[in-house]
Amino acid sequence: MSKKVKKRLITVLLSFLILIIATLLITMNLRDNIIYFYSPSDLKDAEIDRQNIIRVGGLVKESSYNYDEKSKIYNFVITDNMNEISVTYVGIMPNLFAENKGVVVEGLATSKSSVTALEVLAKHDENYMPPEVIEALKKDGKWQEE
Amino acid sequence: MIGYIGNILITICLLASLIQSSRLIQDRLVIDQKLFTSISFFSILISFLLLVYLFINSNFNYEIVVSNSHSEKPLIYKIAGAWGNHEGSLLLWILVLTIFNFTFGFSKIKFVNFKDKVMAFQSLIIFGFTLFLLFTSNPFLKTEITVSEGLGLNPVLQDLLLAIHPPILYVGYVGYSLVLSFAIGGMITNKVDNEWAAWLHPWALVAWIFLTLGIGLGSFWAYYELGWGGYWFWDPVENASLMPWLAGTALFHCVLILEKKNILQSWTILLSILTFSFSLIGTFLVRSGILNSVHTFASDPARGSFILIFLAIILVISFGIYAQKGPLLDSKDELKLVSKESSILGNNWLLLSILFVVFLGTLYPLGTDLFLQKSISVGPNYYILTLLPITILLLILMIIGPNTKWKNDKVSNIIFSINKLFILSLAIIFGFSIYFSELELTQITLLTLSLTLVFVSIKNGLRVNNNYSIIKPALGKSLAHVGFGLLILSVVANGTFAREKIFQAKVNDTLQIDNYTFKFDSVEQTKGVNFNAITATFHLMNDQTVMDTFTPEIRVYSNPPTVTSETSIIRKLLTDIYVVMNVPENSNFVNVRIHVKPMISFIWLSVILMAIGGLSAIIFRFKKIR
Repeated sequence: MSKKVKKRLITVLLSFLILIIATLLITMNLRDNIIYFYSPSDLKDAEIDRQNIIRVGGLVKESSYNYDEKSKIYNFVITDNMNEISVTYVGIMPNLFAENKGVVVEGLATSKSSVTALEVLAKHDENYMPPEVIEALKKDGKWQEE
Repeated sequence: MIGYIGNILITICLLASLIQSSRLIQDRLVIDQKLFTSISFFSILISFLLLVYLFINSNFNYEIVVSNSHSEKPLIYKIAGAWGNHEGSLLLWILVLTIFNFTFGFSKIKFVNFKDKVMAFQSLIIFGFTLFLLFTSNPFLKTEITVSEGLGLNPVLQDLLLAIHPPILYVGYVGYSLVLSFAIGGMITNKVDNEWAAWLHPWALVAWIFLTLGIGLGSFWAYYELGWGGYWFWDPVENASLMPWLAGTALFHCVLILEKKNILQSWTILLSILTFSFSLIGTFLVRSGILNSVHTFASDPARGSFILIFLAIILVISFGIYAQKGPLLDSKDELKLVSKESSILGNNWLLLSILFVVFLGTLYPLGTDLFLQKSISVGPNYYILTLLPITILLLILMIIGPNTKWKNDKVSNIIFSINKLFILSLAIIFGFSIYFSELELTQITLLTLSLTLVFVSIKNGLRVNNNYSIIKPALGKSLAHVGFGLLILSVVANGTFAREKIFQAKVNDTLQIDNYTFKFDSVEQTKGVNFNAITATFHLMNDQTVMDTFTPEIRVYSNPPTVTSETSIIRKLLTDIYVVMNVPENSNFVNVRIHVKPMISFIWLSVILMAIGGLSAIIFRFKKIR
């Protein structure tokens, strides 16, 4: 084997090795860090892994929102007008959180209809509806175009 | 009347740029490119000024003003409102395109045929975007009914930094259009050599500097305005600006090699195509509304498809010419493994790997949504864990690269030139780890390498010539590399040592985080120019004396109806203290979140250093050419 061919061979092998490592790294990290989104109806039918962080979203049900001052726990119910998820949360409620408005919650499912929130995402102006919520409501036929 | 003139001016630009771009396929009819470019530039400039004028006068006969302005808004935000929306910002985008063509037209490059083709291709891009503007996003549309008051600009956007953020970011994005035009012009006229690279160098740097500053400003804005305590969220919109930056950084390093060594011609061309493509992909992601983002832009599917079609046309033309000319471009010189060229090329590949990781993470949710009907998002840990090893390699190559000679070098020479500074950095980080708090292995690795990079780059910048004066052309590179080292250093330090705590507080409560003690002094109602506010006062105490006072606010805007939390941040030399609050409905307490964020100012400083580095590289180059 000439010197030049040998050099090329090493380069090719090395690139392959790097490519394989990179692909493994990317797919593994991607698999572990995907957050799935569920509407209340989705969650009812889904296989729930209690270890994985998920997102759920819908409308905050009217007069379901309350705060317990002693335990510092917020409670509210997310609905898509068919099924419901009850949410418990300790932390800061965003300014835009309100009943009958859209909300997305990131947290852990404790059952098929309850979630412990790690974060409540309602970060936009009053008219803002998270795209997932619109999608979820549309799917269940509860979305009204303005 | 004003809208009528505006539309005519835009149409003039459309026609002028169409005529100019004909030079790409015909050689018979000679066109005075300078004259036509001046026509396009001034007509777009005037129509943009007309739009600003409509906003200043709150002329509610126009839809764009109604949807994005309000007569009670402060003047500066009325002006900024002109580009705080899709239509206006697209007009600004075209204005920047024509500015680049105009300035290039009056540059001193002597090769007439090359210049002609570059400007023809740039005009083709201008033509495409002007067509887009006229047919899907006309800013001069009149309202159908009489309106007496506007809807206002989203209060989150009523911010001085955000007013100047889009223009700066666009100069960066759009600057790469000229780089692509250079590539096309160079290929057609067979002029992709070291002289071509020398011409391209300042333009590629200008685009890079503005894109760097634009990303930095956006991040800074998100930090203090959104009130989430973070500065980077791996959000699709942020990723959209990071991707062309990564490609552009790889690109101008290649331009450097091409200029010095006359190698890597076809690779440089490929990167030019790639970089502007990512500018367009970024624009597509932001404007089509196809991705779930924390910052939504007015979105419309028609706009998305237009940008995609335009991107496809650009790619077909570019690769068509590349397929013809590409294989003939490269010179025969071979690369040696241990050389400056190789280390820059290695870094090129690392930058592109980062680009690939970011690209995949940004588009993966789109793929699952389209093909599996599953709505997902990719968590920040994907980016952090995947980019970690790449960043470590990147830092290593950045440390040894500038200390390696062109052509061929010995490994022992390189090690000799950096070992002392590496050991010094390792000692500092280890000492810190033992004395203050224990660090993990990855943190020690990243901190040591980035500190070494800072030291090595400072040393390289202070290198003197025979007259004991600093070698100026090398100064820019060193500054930019110090900036990057400092960026990684402060990002890791911030991630490691940042603290946050949430309180439910009533007046006179004492709040404690780390060694900081706060006293909740008062809450009161205040009134601003176009909002009502609840302002709380917190004192940072040292025993009984007040050290600092924080006044976070909740603002209630009525046009459009929005509630925002205003952060109160006090910058110390090394640490930011960041207070943000909100008040839950019907409650007798406020929610307060206090962040202690070390090294955060150094993140902004490092971005500025990189930009200054780029600038000084341009300035000292010009002197060399004269």
